[in-house]
Amino acid sequence: MVNLLFVTVFLPLAGASVIWILAEGGPKVIRWIALATSLITLGLTGWLVMHYPQGVPGVDAAWLSPSPGGAPDIRFSLGLDGLSLWLFALSALLMVTSVLVSWEAISERPVAFYSLLLVLETGMLGVFAARDIILFYVFFEFTLVPLFFLIGIWGSEERRYAAIKFFLFTLAGSLLTFLGLLAIVLIDYHHSPSRTMTFSIPELTARLAERPIDDSVQLWIFLALFAGFAIKVPLFPLHTWLPLAHVEAPTAGSVILAGILLKVGTYGFLRFSLPMLPEATAACMPWILWLSVAGIIYGALVALVQTDIKRLIAYSSVSHLGFCMLGLFALNRLGINGAVLQMVNHGLSTGALFALVGMLYERYHTRQIADLGGLSRRTPLLAFFMVLFTLSSIGLPGLNGFAGELLILVGMFQRAWAEAPAVYAGQWLTIAVLAVFGVVLGAWYMLWLVERVFFGPLREPQHDEHAAVVRDLSVREVLALAPLAVFVFWIGLVPQHFLKPMEGDLNQLATQLGARVEQRFGPPARLDLAATPQPSREPPRVD
Amino acid sequence: MSIETIYALAPEVILVATATLIYLGAAFLPARGIWHGVAAAGLILAALVLFNQSWGLQEPLGSAAMEIMRAGPLAIDDAGGLDPLARYGRWLTLVVGLALVLLSKRPQPQALEGEAAGTLLLAIAGLMLAIAARELVLLFLGLELISIPTYVLLYMGRRDMQSQEAAVKYFFLSILASALTLYGFSFLYGIGRSTDLASIEAALAAGGDGSGTLAAVALVLIFAGLGFKIAAVPFHFYAPDVYQATTHANAALLSVLPKIAGLVALVRVAAIAMPGSESVGWRLAFILAVATMTLGNVLALWQDNIRRLLAYSSIAHSGYMLLGLTVGLAGGSGAARSLDGIGAMLFYLAVYSLATIGAFAVLTWLGTSHRQIDGVDELAGLARTHPGTAAGMAAFMFSLAGIPPLAGFWGKFTLFGSALVAEPPVSSVYPWLIALAIVGALNAAIGAAYYLRIIGVMYFRAPIAVPRAEGGWGAATAMLLCSVAVVAIGLYPGPLVGSSQRASQAVQKAEAKRQKDESEQAVSRNQSKEAREQTTDSKVGA
Repeated sequence: MVNLLFVTVFLPLAGASVIWILAEGGPKVIRWIALATSLITLGLTGWLVMHYPQGVPGVDAAWLSPSPGGAPDIRFSLGLDGLSLWLFALSALLMVTSVLVSWEAISERPVAFYSLLLVLETGMLGVFAARDIILFYVFFEFTLVPLFFLIGIWGSEERRYAAIKFFLFTLAGSLLTFLGLLAIVLIDYHHSPSRTMTFSIPELTARLAERPIDDSVQLWIFLALFAGFAIKVPLFPLHTWLPLAHVEAPTAGSVILAGILLKVGTYGFLRFSLPMLPEATAACMPWILWLSVAGIIYGALVALVQTDIKRLIAYSSVSHLGFCMLGLFALNRLGINGAVLQMVNHGLSTGALFALVGMLYERYHTRQIADLGGLSRRTPLLAFFMVLFTLSSIGLPGLNGFAGELLILVGMFQRAWAEAPAVYAGQWLTIAVLAVFGVVLGAWYMLWLVERVFFGPLREPQHDEHAAVVRDLSVREVLALAPLAVFVFWIGLVPQHFLKPMEGDLNQLATQLGARVEQRFGPPARLDLAATPQPSREPPRVD
Repeated sequence: MSIETIYALAPEVILVATATLIYLGAAFLPARGIWHGVAAAGLILAALVLFNQSWGLQEPLGSAAMEIMRAGPLAIDDAGGLDPLARYGRWLTLVVGLALVLLSKRPQPQALEGEAAGTLLLAIAGLMLAIAARELVLLFLGLELISIPTYVLLYMGRRDMQSQEAAVKYFFLSILASALTLYGFSFLYGIGRSTDLASIEAALAAGGDGSGTLAAVALVLIFAGLGFKIAAVPFHFYAPDVYQATTHANAALLSVLPKIAGLVALVRVAAIAMPGSESVGWRLAFILAVATMTLGNVLALWQDNIRRLLAYSSIAHSGYMLLGLTVGLAGGSGAARSLDGIGAMLFYLAVYSLATIGAFAVLTWLGTSHRQIDGVDELAGLARTHPGTAAGMAAFMFSLAGIPPLAGFWGKFTLFGSALVAEPPVSSVYPWLIALAIVGALNAAIGAAYYLRIIGVMYFRAPIAVPRAEGGWGAATAMLLCSVAVVAIGLYPGPLVGSSQRASQAVQKAEAKRQKDESEQAVSRNQSKEAREQTTDSKVGA
């Protein structure tokens, strides 16, 4: 049972206990242990990714039910596949950044801070690696706890309110999700001829493909799952917890929240709703597409008027996650592939942007756009990274954001041009065009932010005695950002490296879903036409 | 009363004997501090005997002894030992009892210390007796043996006006509830012409003129009477006042012992002994469950007194457990063996009890012998002043809120799972069970709000006054015991889930037997082939 994957997931937890044991060693020792743990975890993750898929071991052990009978057979089972590979890797990568950006920012109770951070890493790695539906939920819910403390203890002024609102909002949704997940398992149990109850995700996916749940029931379960996942994403209009939590969280918390935890929502759709409830997914597709595009536009417009940099980036997340949802629910190959790539991209660029805002705040103790200006003269390196990640975020060709957004938009246009009755085709096209408009808005608010803060005449807060000694990025800070920058270029220049490992699993999913969409929103079924005595008015197709 | 019966009740006998010893010793010996230790030793001795009974070298009973046991008042299984439900309940009681004895050990022994310890032991013995009973008189005796020591303990806990008021309030309402329960029992006696639950079950299964109506009346009365014990809405009014006005140790006792007793008694009476009344039973339980959890959770949001808050929390948790009972009553025996409603309820009972006692142990530990923690705000900044204690309290709160990977999560999992997996014989019942699961899930979200508030106060606020933390080693040990249990069950819930599910098979077996009889009749009429398959299924499963 103990193998490399298991070790990778639980190493951070072990690191957290080491920190706790060596608490007397002082903040320096603790930071180094945290950094070493996250680096080793990243190294192991790298090894796993390089040896994917043959070399990645799975873990599967009895958990709840040691002997047959008695408790239900919930298993402790871990594994990686195309859906989760990159999100798993992203979690390990961003954790290194998070430790490095907290290096000097966190002076209060460092033992607790770094322990919680590492515990959170185990939670996130576990979410993406879990192959048992209950194990997934355990990790899914468990990530709330460390983050709750990270926001509540080390956050800024409104932290208590933000922490509790974040926790309750997500919990309320995820409890319904819990019922939905249970319902999937138990309905499958009722339908299975052998009357066996399985909680294994791959087995459930296979069994549900064979014996799908009734359409109307699927819809209810879909809504239950939607409650939790859409809040987590967050899909407009369920996003109200997000700006508060992001702004109040300490830098590392924002990086992880935006970088990883939002993806847990989209990952949930990808892992459960799409493959297990295909009929309901197809039925809800128009609604979700509209909500996504509303989120894209709304998030962008609200970001445009923000005066606080961190808040602006928080709203940009609402907009960007709208793109991810749009791609997922385009329900075709390009869209889904693009969506998963874009999840990674958003993690990289927004994670880095939050880290940069944190660095800025450490220097000037303000995040107000109006207080700052022309900083590229004072801190050229910081400005360089800011521009780089801004361009990545708005999708400049050659950088990672472009590859993802392009795939999503092409996927959406493909959906729009697929044969469909005018009422649907029109909708899809409107959505696609609006999404393009969202890209433009995104470029506007981000570039405008960079222009106001980093260019033009130098403007620094007067009252701040630190302003005189403001330094550019230190080596540590560069090291926090550089790995992310490497991947920004890598994904931008050769996206195939990243698309290839996951496309097998994703394309299979897309094909399966494509058929459902075709049935529901496609052209009137040929069979019907053939059945009617009148000759069809359509020109005969040659195919 | 045969030697076998006495052996089967040996743990209870040991507890009562220890209590008597303590009463005698406390009257003559000047030492005050030792009596809780003696009580704990008695509990451990009882646990050893119980261990021997459960897994030990007990020879199977001879047929003559079996006959005596069958005729006796105890719930036994085929081998002559106590049945799995009784075994589970008795183990739970001993663990919980040990925590309660430790918790009520005061740092500076006061007058009547020995009497308090002995009285607590009597209440624990009463609970074990009520759990083992398969006969109305013994059941009632057990219930009273919990209540009467509780009155005494409530009087002894604090000596101020509020406390006296609370004790009087509890006393009168409890008497009323006992009377209601007894009135309900009298209807059962009328139906079965016997106080033996098996005879009542047989009489009800055979049917007869008007027995269904009488059974419904009995059920309503029993639900009302036992509803008081478990603090179900609308019989909950005493709980917040009494909890607020008494000590933490007494509040812990009140939120655990009567609850275990009431719920196990409901299982024994309503789920096993009253076939044919399930349709009334599940409706009653449904209404009580929804009202109890919703009202408990919502009212807890507004509380500033920590004991009052925990009182409403314990009301809310009764609601969740009634959810399990509802599923058990409505679910039929076709439900998955591994996720049965009654089993889920029994599991929840354990995780709830441990977390609640743990929370009260934390509060006791933080106070002194003269002044106890009252307001939620007094916990402010606890994470800085007492990090370990704060972590323990956070674990109890998260467990009560049902956050993984703590014990409470698995409680919610088994409860909601049992509601969704149930296969009620009448299919129109199923939507109600789903609705119940949804109400439960929403309630869990509401409930999380006040638990988080406590955690938030401890972790996110600056300390106002540093609690003295002179609660003594008893409270500290109880706290440690409970927190280890809550985390261990959370990480490895299998064994406890398994044994709680096996315990509920006492119920399922009765139902399966009944179903077998019914299906045999059906087969003889050449009607239902399916029923036969179902029976063989359930036989294989059993």
